[in-house]
Amino acid sequence: MTVTEPRDAPPRRARPAGYGLARRRRASFLLHRRAGVVALILLALLSCACLAALCLGETTVAPDQALRAVFGRPSDAEFVVGVLRLPRLTLALLVGAALGVAGALIQAVARNPLASPDVIGVTHGAAAVTVTAMTYGLTSAAALPYLSVTGGLAAAALVYLFAWRGGLHAGRFVLIGIGIAVALRSVTQLFLTKGDHQIAQQATVWMTGSFNGRGYDQAQPLAWALLALLPAVLWAARAQRAVVLDDDTATALGVRLGRTRLGLATVGVLLAALATGAAGPVDFVALLAPQIARRLTRTAQLPLLCSALAGAVLTVTADVLARTLFAPTELAAGVVTAAVGAPYLLWLIVTHRTGGRA
Amino acid sequence: MSPAETGPATARLTARALTLSYDEAARPIVDGLDLAVPDGQVTVIVGPNACGKSTTLRALGRLLKPRGGAVLLDGQELSTLPTRRIAQAIGLLPQSPTAPEAITVADLVSRGRQPHQRWWQQWSEADERAVTEAMDRTDVTALADRAVDELSGGQRQRVWIAMALAQETDLLLLDEPTTYLDIAHQVEVLNLVRHLPGRTVVAVLHDLNQAARYADHLVAMKDGRIVARGRPGEIVTAELVRDVFGLDALVVPDPVTGSPLVVPAAPTAPTLPSAREARTP
Repeated sequence: MTVTEPRDAPPRRARPAGYGLARRRRASFLLHRRAGVVALILLALLSCACLAALCLGETTVAPDQALRAVFGRPSDAEFVVGVLRLPRLTLALLVGAALGVAGALIQAVARNPLASPDVIGVTHGAAAVTVTAMTYGLTSAAALPYLSVTGGLAAAALVYLFAWRGGLHAGRFVLIGIGIAVALRSVTQLFLTKGDHQIAQQATVWMTGSFNGRGYDQAQPLAWALLALLPAVLWAARAQRAVVLDDDTATALGVRLGRTRLGLATVGVLLAALATGAAGPVDFVALLAPQIARRLTRTAQLPLLCSALAGAVLTVTADVLARTLFAPTELAAGVVTAAVGAPYLLWLIVTHRTGGRA
Repeated sequence: MSPAETGPATARLTARALTLSYDEAARPIVDGLDLAVPDGQVTVIVGPNACGKSTTLRALGRLLKPRGGAVLLDGQELSTLPTRRIAQAIGLLPQSPTAPEAITVADLVSRGRQPHQRWWQQWSEADERAVTEAMDRTDVTALADRAVDELSGGQRQRVWIAMALAQETDLLLLDEPTTYLDIAHQVEVLNLVRHLPGRTVVAVLHDLNQAARYADHLVAMKDGRIVARGRPGEIVTAELVRDVFGLDALVVPDPVTGSPLVVPAAPTAPTLPSAREARTP
């Protein structure tokens, strides 16, 4: 595989500046250089966050002991790291990455940075169905992904149904979504108050998006689902290129816009719903991560890999803070992300011009 | 101005009994329109506001599905062709395209290559050549690394045309490409469009004089129908201007090109109601 560098390029090259070209036989891929650098930086940040997640807590573990435990070597911290912290960290990583990509895809389809799955009702749909099922006694971890995906898809379908008027207008889409989100939240509240005390308490913890007491049971089905969705995400990364243009131009370029947008939105909704099923609604990660990533990469579209990494960094960091900030009292990670995300959402609403683009 | 071939030119793109509307219930905007777009020529559609000229162009570029009749490309109905195949033959520049924030000129122009690329073939020698040529021809090579939203209106329009050119289609449809441009940039864009070798161009313009000057084939529309078609020198007359635009005008030869030049009649004091009523029933 050869990566052409700009220095040996002829003086007037048309390939958009900032892209590297990877070519192998007839296949060729454009790679955004700055996005590559940003991905490496985010990866480094993520490594630090992960290490912190393994080392910090009620008992502090030395980094070398923590790493030994991770790689299955004899260590002082086999129980604390291997049993308590690593499974939880794995789940936070997967949830964060899934939410980051989900946010990027849905914001891209709606061409609106406000249209993230945790604003327009997708995660609320997942939550409503899950809590309803919980109050009827269905609490097994294996059932959670199916419940949340059903809820997420149903909520998305509702938003689409109400927002569709012979076309999809970004502003209306977001407003309807916010309305549906509020309605679904009240459905959730209704079932919380109706249900059994103990289950209600369990559901309430789940509702705030907490990784407490969660681990491989939730992480494993999520990991398989994400793996299954990987080809779709790779397709989405390319399909996004045309969707960022206006509808007429994209159609003129031979993009089947309706299908492409439906495909992108479906992948986004599935990712958001799966993540919500695994850890409850970790609010605002899907809203924040893609915009942070795009501001760093300065790409025309929302960068999916960097969004995933940014989502993972946010979620893992939030969980570390949730555990350690008011120790021994533990917060939910969703509370920490909300503390950062809510002001950002307000700022977006105040500064956002109607009908703008993601 | 290059003399256009007269006589029966071949036409890859035709419309047959085309009926168009945006709303099922409403009166059609375009009703039973037949049109053959002569190959290798510049066809310009003119007409008063709301006469259906942009709507017709959208249908020619499959952005609008016909309610009746059909648009044919090489004898095949557009609605039966894969949109990607169409995109390899027909390029279209909408009236007000929008670019994503912060996209660079070269990045935008390179997206014109979309219909020629595949998931695993994102950049080829042909892509490189087409984008280089398109940027050279539209004189935006020097702007390649600038953000599109920093450019002036004229520069931005050239970038969009470059994107459409990079698509390398035989047919190019332009919807009011000179709107929002000052007169110098209007002329610049039209000169550019006029001198695209081997391409068939269909443009919607609202300025009759520009249309008469740059068209090989002029199509005048009114109320969703074609009123006149042909070479501008043959069809642009005082009668046509009165009929289509409801304007009293003098038609004289353009002192530079000899094409018909429409000069509106002397301005009168706020029109006598009786005179206006007599003219426009």
